[in-house]
Amino acid sequence: MLQSGNYSLVLLIQLILLAYDLFVNSFSELLRAAPVIQLVLFIIQDIAILFNLIIILLMMFNTYVFQVGLLSLLLERFRALLIFSTLYLTLSICLHSWVMNLRWLDSGRFVWTDGLQTLFVFQRTVAVGYYYLYKRTAEYMGDPRLYEDSLWLREAFARARQ
Amino acid sequence: MPTVKSKKKKLKKEVSVGEEQGEVALDMEMEEMTNKSQSDSREPLTPEPLDPAPQKKKKKKRAATIDQEVDHADTPNGNTTEPTIDGEETSVAVTRKTKKKKKAKATEHYSNDLGAEEDDIVAGSQSPIPQHSLFSAPHGQSQPVGKVFVERNRRFQAERVDHLRHSEMMDDYMDPRPLWTTRDVAMKVHSSFRVIGLFSHGFLAGYAVWNIIVVYVLAGEQMTTLPNLLNQYHPLAYPAQSLLYLLLAISTVSAFDRVNLAKASMALRGFLTLDPAALASFLYFIALILSLSQQMTSDRINLYPTANETLWPPGSEQQILRPWIVVNLVVALLVGMAWAVVSTRPDIDYTEEFLMTMEVESYPRGEENVDNPA
Repeated sequence: MLQSGNYSLVLLIQLILLAYDLFVNSFSELLRAAPVIQLVLFIIQDIAILFNLIIILLMMFNTYVFQVGLLSLLLERFRALLIFSTLYLTLSICLHSWVMNLRWLDSGRFVWTDGLQTLFVFQRTVAVGYYYLYKRTAEYMGDPRLYEDSLWLREAFARARQ
Repeated sequence: MPTVKSKKKKLKKEVSVGEEQGEVALDMEMEEMTNKSQSDSREPLTPEPLDPAPQKKKKKKRAATIDQEVDHADTPNGNTTEPTIDGEETSVAVTRKTKKKKKAKATEHYSNDLGAEEDDIVAGSQSPIPQHSLFSAPHGQSQPVGKVFVERNRRFQAERVDHLRHSEMMDDYMDPRPLWTTRDVAMKVHSSFRVIGLFSHGFLAGYAVWNIIVVYVLAGEQMTTLPNLLNQYHPLAYPAQSLLYLLLAISTVSAFDRVNLAKASMALRGFLTLDPAALASFLYFIALILSLSQQMTSDRINLYPTANETLWPPGSEQQILRPWIVVNLVVALLVGMAWAVVSTRPDIDYTEEFLMTMEVESYPRGEENVDNPA
């Protein structure tokens, strides 16, 4: 059974990482005076996304549902998050590499092209979806039904077997 | 107990005085005397026959008492509360000294009897320690204190015994489930974020309207003073864009939360029935994309003072800025409408309703119950 204290701590870490991510997405363009600052911010952001993904996967592995082998039940519930997380991580790394590559020598340069603009819009939009899904999943991981045998789980199991 | 002891001591005194008078005691007499004293003393104190094991014990006890008596003369803070007993003890000590001389002789032949005599000296006294404590320690029996010292946070803290028992009993009888469950934590986080979201909706609407008013005022009538707008607004353009994204992201997530977007059937039904939450999330999402699409222009405005001819060709202000202003106007209208829609039904939150259903139904645990492999 997941303890509420442990869950609160994990949830806090996840929300802090999400808040950092949102902060960098919002204000990284303003903090481009020195390219090194932006580079460090981007590296930490990508690591934070990866950390968040690892944390949510570990939380899933910790559930009773996963341990009894009902992986499909978890995937059905959290598939969207896993897809969005992977997509967002990929888009972030691409955008960060591109922007840093363009701005490394002159950070005050106008670097925008149509391709970069498209990638930028895409990455920022996916980021919002990722925030929503991640927050929702982190809250749903507090579902006590995921951590013990219950009528709900048995019904889900019966449905999965049919 | 002291009375019995004093009687014994008196007897022994007599014995020793008789011996002193006779100067050289005959062995036979000694034997008689010791036997006599042994029988005298044994009768009231140890009715059962003497067996070797208790003798040993008593020997030990006796040795301890003698040591204490010897030490007692040296201790400065001897027992002052019982002077009469002390006096008697000193007299006993004197007689014992004389006895010791006799004993030295007697041990040659009557070592067994000596053992019996030793028995006489201390027999019956349960523990001589309370009467002859080395230091003047309290004589009373230990009383249970109504406190227990419990180690908490690396410190021992006194706690009432009855309180402790009470709390233990409470623990025993209470439901093992904690009062603050993980579901409650999730609900709390969700409701906290909803408050932040509600604030964000209002702030975003107000900020967007303020932004577009500032832009239109600086642009002048029929957008005739666009260079003025660029001069005045260029330091604000990028921070405004960043803040707009931050607020839009929070508001969009909050609106998605309300409609429970991840539950596709529920979200679709919300859109089809023009549910306020669904409508608001749609408006916010459109506003977000429109706002993001103006990132390039915002950076161009931001770089206006350092710009060269390629970035801002002369006469291109109208061409570049007009779409930017229109899009900003649309964004302001969208977020204003979304805020109005959300404000009509601020209590709608389908995700919270879903969180509320996260209850474990009690299941009768049978034999076929799957054991937790963990």
